[in-house]
Amino acid sequence: MDDDYYSIDAILAENQKIQCKFKQDIPDMGHLDGGSERDIKRDSKVQIPLWMAYVLIFSNFADFTIPGPFTTRVQNALKAEPTSVKLAGLVGAGGLWYGFGRVLLRLLDDEHGDLMSALLARTFRQRLLEVVDQAQHFAALGRASGGHSNDATQSFREGLDATERELFGLAQESSRRTKRWYESGEKGRK
Amino acid sequence: MALPQSLRTSVTPPELELIASEQLIDIVPLVTMEKTAFISGAYGPLRPPAKARVPLWIAVNLKLKKKCHIVPPEWLSVEFLQDRLSRETSNPGFSQLPFQFAEISKVILDIASDDLENPDKIRTLLKDIREARQSKSREGITKLDHSELGLSGLCSMEINEIRPFFIKGMNVLTKLIRDPEHPPNLDET
Repeated sequence: MDDDYYSIDAILAENQKIQCKFKQDIPDMGHLDGGSERDIKRDSKVQIPLWMAYVLIFSNFADFTIPGPFTTRVQNALKAEPTSVKLAGLVGAGGLWYGFGRVLLRLLDDEHGDLMSALLARTFRQRLLEVVDQAQHFAALGRASGGHSNDATQSFREGLDATERELFGLAQESSRRTKRWYESGEKGRK
Repeated sequence: MALPQSLRTSVTPPELELIASEQLIDIVPLVTMEKTAFISGAYGPLRPPAKARVPLWIAVNLKLKKKCHIVPPEWLSVEFLQDRLSRETSNPGFSQLPFQFAEISKVILDIASDDLENPDKIRTLLKDIREARQSKSREGITKLDHSELGLSGLCSMEINEIRPFFIKGMNVLTKLIRDPEHPPNLDET
């Protein structure tokens, strides 16, 4: 989630592809599309990783469309019930939905950027409570028991974005540690 | 960093207990000791049956050797805790308790429950208070903001428990908000 040069998360987030539509012919760059064409034709649509898309978009070679994980359909689903959307399923490779969204922010103009930022922040905040709740629940169960949970909570856990997963771990560990201390008896003192 | 992952996020509860052991507490000594200098200060003299004020760790040490009785602090009593519990359940805010009440009460309950009146009742009350407060800090998560966090009334153990994921959560929010100076209103739409 950070901009650090060495951050694997940042690299992975930039590795997501977005669809770009070229505004002009570009000779000798057909290999970007992975096809056998020698040139990129005007108006052709190519999936380009974000890290390369910056240059193309800022130097006005191409336009881009809002990628799948952030379409209106997903936005509406998030608006309806943030905890029911499987964020990890929307983006491949580690499921960095927030990371992807944040990188995308840089490409958007002010108006769309604000909307996107609000979407990301609102989703994060509304899901956070459920993340922490479940983490504490699992900490209370202890390491050994698997625990029974119903389908909704299970499916929520499977859909956690990598950032949320990290938070889940933090909350679980901290809660487990505090619990262990509360339960430790007087034996240790003698 | 050479510290193991689990120690990087926050202080551990036993460390907090160690810090809380510097708090002064009254004891009734059963042995005589001259005024003695420690790194943190000089304590004593101990002259039974006069009360003496010493750090918790000395009290624990003497108590385990059966050389003193611990005089519990006034807040560690059924009446006081009952009152706090009713405030805790009726008011939305956190009620005022000593900052390190969790650590101190646990140490005293562990080693000196015979010096307390009705230790079991106190244990139950402390547990109820803890649970009431936990459900409040859980509600606080929904109000998490990228720029500020009020923790008035929370005690050290509770702060420590929520620290790792509150920090991380606020960090993430800061990154997600485009212009931290003028955040968009998140409650709209």
